Amino acid sequence: MAALRAGFLAQNLYRTHFSKVSRFNYLYAALFHSSPPLNAEGMPLKMPSLSPTMMEGTIVKWLKKEGDPIQPGDALCDIQTDKAVVTMDTEEEGILAKILVPEDTKDVKVGTLIAVLAPEGEDWKTIEIPAGEESAASATTAEDTPAAAAAGGGHAHGNYGPSVRLLLEQYGLAAEQVPPGGPHGILLKGDVLKYIKEKSLQPLPVSAVPPPEVPKPAVAAAPVAPAPTPAVPAPPPTIGVSEDGYEDIEVTSMRRTIAKRLTQSKSGIAHSYGTLECQSDKLLALRKQYKNEGINVSVNDLIIKAVSVALTKCPEMNCVWQGDQLTYASQVDMSIAVATPTGLITPIVRGADFLGIEEIASQVRDLAARARENKLKLDEFQGGTFTISNLGMFGISEFSAIINPPQCGILAVGSGIVKIDENGSPVTCMRATLSYDRAGVDDDTAAAFLEELKNILENPVTMMVGGYKSQVDHPLAALL
Amino acid sequence: MLSKFIRSVVQQGHANQRALAPFMTSSVRNSGTATEATFETRPYKLHKLETPPNSTTSCTRDEALTFYTQMQMIRRMESAASNLYKEKAIRGFCHLYSGQEAICVGIKGALRAQDSVITAYRDHGWAYVMGCSVTSIMAELTGRTQGMARGKGGSMHMYAKNFYGGNGIVGAQVPVGAGIALANKYLENNGINVSLYGDGAANQGQLFEAYNIAKLMNLPAVFICENNGYGMGTSVDRASASTNYYTRGDYVPGIWIDGMDVLSVKEAISYCVEHCTSGKGPLVLEVATYRYHGHSMSDPGTSYRTRDEIQEVRQTRDPIMLFKERILSADLVTAEELKKIDGEVRKEVDEAVKIAKTDKEIAVQELAADVYSNPLEITIRGTTPYDPYTHQRLSKIINQH
Ligand SMILES: Cc1ncc(C[n+]2csc(CCOP(=O)(O)OP(=O)(O)O)c2C)c(N)n1
Ligand SMILES: [Mg+2]
Repeated sequence: MAALRAGFLAQNLYRTHFSKVSRFNYLYAALFHSSPPLNAEGMPLKMPSLSPTMMEGTIVKWLKKEGDPIQPGDALCDIQTDKAVVTMDTEEEGILAKILVPEDTKDVKVGTLIAVLAPEGEDWKTIEIPAGEESAASATTAEDTPAAAAAGGGHAHGNYGPSVRLLLEQYGLAAEQVPPGGPHGILLKGDVLKYIKEKSLQPLPVSAVPPPEVPKPAVAAAPVAPAPTPAVPAPPPTIGVSEDGYEDIEVTSMRRTIAKRLTQSKSGIAHSYGTLECQSDKLLALRKQYKNEGINVSVNDLIIKAVSVALTKCPEMNCVWQGDQLTYASQVDMSIAVATPTGLITPIVRGADFLGIEEIASQVRDLAARARENKLKLDEFQGGTFTISNLGMFGISEFSAIINPPQCGILAVGSGIVKIDENGSPVTCMRATLSYDRAGVDDDTAAAFLEELKNILENPVTMMVGGYKSQVDHPLAALL
Repeated sequence: MLSKFIRSVVQQGHANQRALAPFMTSSVRNSGTATEATFETRPYKLHKLETPPNSTTSCTRDEALTFYTQMQMIRRMESAASNLYKEKAIRGFCHLYSGQEAICVGIKGALRAQDSVITAYRDHGWAYVMGCSVTSIMAELTGRTQGMARGKGGSMHMYAKNFYGGNGIVGAQVPVGAGIALANKYLENNGINVSLYGDGAANQGQLFEAYNIAKLMNLPAVFICENNGYGMGTSVDRASASTNYYTRGDYVPGIWIDGMDVLSVKEAISYCVEHCTSGKGPLVLEVATYRYHGHSMSDPGTSYRTRDEIQEVRQTRDPIMLFKERILSADLVTAEELKKIDGEVRKEVDEAVKIAKTDKEIAVQELAADVYSNPLEITIRGTTPYDPYTHQRLSKIINQH
């Protein structure tokens, strides 16, 4: 099933790519033919790489129009990279003559010509579009001298890249076994893949689980259960309907990042699970009491507070990886999973352990609202210490969620269900499942945390007691 | 937050606007342009010095053309580097010098052949004024054979005769610079050494060790703090207990210089050459400047300062713009000449970029070439001890005594 879906996804990407290429060609052609006799050549502006991992980007907004004068240092457009929206500026001086890639064109490859500047003093309306130049021409390596080849002896230095090495290791192959197909006898990844396919080889079993992929905090931790989106906005744009009647849905860069991060997390981290069941009547009563007093807080806000207090009582659960190093966080920065039209995102309530319940409620409202409008700043959704994903309001009684590295725990909260207790009276029960990283958190720690949390949820007045020990008292402590 | 530093310099810029006009223009004329002009320098601030550098300086037509060309070339090279980086043709570290051009051009304008320079990682402009060709710089950035270190060094590791390179460890170049000054003294070659470091580096302990030994031995060393307002994302006010960097040498005399005026920089360095070569020992300079780009390519440069702040500097204090106005109003050059230079600069950089993108990379065995100036063992370990390389000498050794 998973494989099927992956295949489907790949196919979709392939199609997206194709339709885009043809669209660009069309665009170029149109520009070339519709232009009157051309004179001065324009200066090309290309899709920049604005993060080390960015391969493509989407122009969210052009900040200048065709015909606008451009000064060095001016902001030209906002670009959605694989991580955030970043403003592109230029060092050139001139006039923005032609915008070649309009707003909202998805996933434009780095290096693609996106606009043309007319040099100062030239007529920007008749500017020539520079011929499509290749970006970052790949380097050719000087030929290895025969002397060196003799000294080094063929594959001596491993005449192949890291991806080839990895494949060789995974399949227990020696480089000599695989006939090289690259220039100068270099072994390419394609050669190895071909060899593996021909021989129908299987990867060797993996002995040790590598430590979780760390530093970049995931953009979103999604619950495994499909998140029913409330008040669904416009459906994602469809690319086309194929012959078999299936609709191709455009895969956004955010969705792709989510897919990548979640797969990395689920396959790279030793997920372990623990579920608690508690009676939530007192919690509901507390909320009602607040409401009667004009204080508007949700059950979710109360749960955030309860979990924060439980974490301060059980600080080993509030830990994050820093590289290979496990560290106990000094405060609880609670990531809250929020469904947005483009996917799930986890804004952070910082220092939730020493915030009052009203403060938590108002921060959550603000963060969630801005998350839906895609207006969160980077530090508002990166760097939490623990995550809560609550599908209770959708009537989901129980589910489990994927850990959001470098964090070590995520709590999946279900809805309250009315049951009959041993005395025959109705009680509301609630289930919450903790997914924890077994590499960083022991089972007994997780159990202690769940027990603590259960106590607090069933006796919410205990939230008022203690739990403030994380407040740092030394003014420099935050810098250490 | 617009730091106090910026505000004070901007105000100063306005106050001195009048000083832009030539003080006096010599009467020797040649096809409509003067051959030499005299300009007022921006007021200097002094620490433990009696006499300031001259309040006027002369500039010949040739110098004007050279300084303008050099500053434009650096600005253009840095823009090209920025673009190449965003195309992923340059990888890794890359720190740009745009906005600070007047410093290296002004200093170089006053140095003599025997004087030497060492700087930090923001070194492309310095490599250029110290003699590296534009092509060798751009190709080094993209890691190709025509690079001045055959593509093995990259952005932070460029060297030339009497230029001891970019150095990646913040502040570490300064004690080395003191050592070069000691060599000058020892070899009695009458040369001075200039070590440049940033406002961030200015708080490093090793600098004070270098000041101490330099003063103790009266070395011909000039320590220059390029105060561009920020060390990475931290403004000077947030990083330094005293932001008067020219006084930070305590017992070492110091001068504050407006680093946006190439002629004021040059005049002050002439003063330093005189000071150091007459045996008076070291000086600590602070050169006020600004960096237009982010700290490095991973910093968009707009999260700790506003776009308005950057644009204000570009529009009121830009070193190239100021110099252009000065030499035009002194009739040293014509607008057409400058336009022609702009075109030539653009062409030279474009051609260098083309080479930097298409040139070859070195062969793998060459990784072990030119590691030592005098190899005692010619076998060099590879990624494992079992695949050694052989040391070779391919490049000419520079700066060996
Ligand atoms: C010893 C050391 N510490 C930290 C760094 C990381 N680092 C690189 S540049 C830099 C900031 C330096 O700022 P400044 O001296 O003002 O120079 P500028 O970048 O402004 O030219 C830092 C902290 C380093 N390279 N070396
Ligand atoms: Mg600085």
